[in-house]
Amino acid sequence: MNRDVLVIGGGIAGIQASLDLAEMGIKVHLVERLPSIGGRMAQLDKTFPTNDCAL
Amino acid sequence: MDVGRHPNINLLAYSEVEKVEGQAGDFRVTVRKKPRYVDESKCTGCGACAEKCPTVTSDEYNLGLGKAKAIYKYFAQGIPSAYTIDATICRNFQPGKKCGICQKVCQAGAIDYKQEAKIFELSVGAIIAATGYDLFDARRIPEYGYGRIRNVITALEFERFLSASGPTHGHVYRVTDLAAQEALPEMEKVCQKAVKGLERYEKQFSMTSDEFYGRYESGEFKGGNEEYDKWAAAVVAARKATAELEVLQKKVESIESAHRLAFIQCVGSRDIRFNKYCSGFCCMHAIKEAIIAREHDRDAQVYIFGMDIRAVGKGFEEYRNRGAKEAGVHYIRSRVAEITEGKNHTPIIWYEDTKERVVRQMPVDLVILSTACQPSASTRRVAELLGIELNEFGFYKTASYPPLDTTRPGIFICGCAHSPMDIPESVAQASSAAARAAQVLAGSGTMRLAS
Ligand SMILES: Cc1cc2nc3c(=O)[nH]c(=O)nc-3n(C[C@H](O)[C@H](O)[C@H](O)COP(=O)(O)OP(=O)(O)OC[C@H]3O[C@@H](n4cnc5c(N)ncnc54)[C@H](O)[C@@H]3O)c2cc1C
Ligand code: SF4
Ligand code: SF4
Repeated sequence: MNRDVLVIGGGIAGIQASLDLAEMGIKVHLVERLPSIGGRMAQLDKTFPTNDCAL
Repeated sequence: MDVGRHPNINLLAYSEVEKVEGQAGDFRVTVRKKPRYVDESKCTGCGACAEKCPTVTSDEYNLGLGKAKAIYKYFAQGIPSAYTIDATICRNFQPGKKCGICQKVCQAGAIDYKQEAKIFELSVGAIIAATGYDLFDARRIPEYGYGRIRNVITALEFERFLSASGPTHGHVYRVTDLAAQEALPEMEKVCQKAVKGLERYEKQFSMTSDEFYGRYESGEFKGGNEEYDKWAAAVVAARKATAELEVLQKKVESIESAHRLAFIQCVGSRDIRFNKYCSGFCCMHAIKEAIIAREHDRDAQVYIFGMDIRAVGKGFEEYRNRGAKEAGVHYIRSRVAEITEGKNHTPIIWYEDTKERVVRQMPVDLVILSTACQPSASTRRVAELLGIELNEFGFYKTASYPPLDTTRPGIFICGCAHSPMDIPESVAQASSAAARAAQVLAGSGTMRLAS
């Protein structure tokens, strides 16, 4: 059994999945197509329903 | 976000999966890391290189609304913070051209024009595909004028307008007014140059250009020195440039922020021609953008045109009411048939008021299209690589239980790769997919997809 996980896509979903696994002590390889992670959320100003800053 | 520094996370940015073999518990994956031409471990993200880079392009992150250089950082707080050279435009990579400025400027010695792609072979027990979404191309509905009528933009573009770090520092202007503002410095330069060009003649003939031109017009210098004709032409050009500059300056001075804003909902969603499904988050982001626009400008008047407002998440109905109360949002139950362009680049919305059953029109300053959420461009290719199926809409296929399992054991999905959803839901799904992946590693997660 291999102990690592591959996550494809570094948007908010891929980031959260990676962090959860990493916190469980599992080694994660996070592959993102663009030069930086963040996905669409990185382009948002503030987010509903609280209007907090996206980043 | 400490993803970049977590000891258990190997971040492979600017990379793509090339091959996947094996099965749940034992996948072998090939990943290709594209060359950035900047050493990620050396680059401090200081930005000195981009400041000096001579190659200017439009800013992709700001949806082409601002300017970027050939060596760029995708966005300010990006992780990793290293810069990247776009080899398709960087002069150093064009045949017969040379540059090398960024390498000279970089104190960290991070620039490496010879960097090559790196191949990584990984062994993993489980895979999570979180490849997200792309937005519907509004040009596919030509009657809305996106791409043709410049004051028609998308909600994502408007998001950048509202941002303090965006191209307008949070101020909302009509796109055509912004273009005029941007054109001003260039026009000033052209005008200065034209006026300066007259000095040479004025010195040579010890006469002001105005005096000369008056006499030239009355025929005094005809048929003589060729220089006189050149001078006269230069005077005409300078006067024309000055007049144009004045018009532009007046225009820029009279520019006001865009006060009348109209959102058009379901652009490409709930539409049998394109996507039959509801994209779920656009009603809410329209309300959000309306509230923020109103915070920035107390005179903003916001109209949301749609079939209905879908506010089904936790606290969403309250948010919708807050939109009406705080931001004075007018919700107009309608179907928008067409957007035309009136005088002075004013978009005019032609719609059927479905409550009163009449056709009406409304001129506004800016139209904002809430475009549909679609599977991201590489979804199909990733599905092929992973050997998993897609559903009728092109999102990865799952069963209703367990909801994040794909058609292949050991491979899970979450977020908008599953279906359109907002951030809280994407995060909840992500934790859930992580738990499923952990179960596989523990030897218990390969429960088959219920058919
Ligand atoms: C205008 C607008 C405003 C919004 N406002 C809000 C809001 O206020 N609140 C809210 O909750 N939601 C909002 N949303 C929705 C929000 O954007 C999504 O819920 C969220 O971004 C989904 O995250 P994700 O990680 O699933 O997808 P994405 O953000 O799309 O991330 C996917 C990532 O995967 C990468 N990727 C894609 N293909 C590959 C591949 N083949 N290999 C490697 N990497 C790949 C992409 O580059 C990207 O980084 C808004 C959406 C829009 C359009
Ligand atoms: S490449 Fe060099 S100059 Fe450019 S941001 Fe990185 S450290 Fe600074
Ligand atoms: S969320 Fe609203 S705007 Fe978006 S598709 Fe659904 S009904 Fe239309």
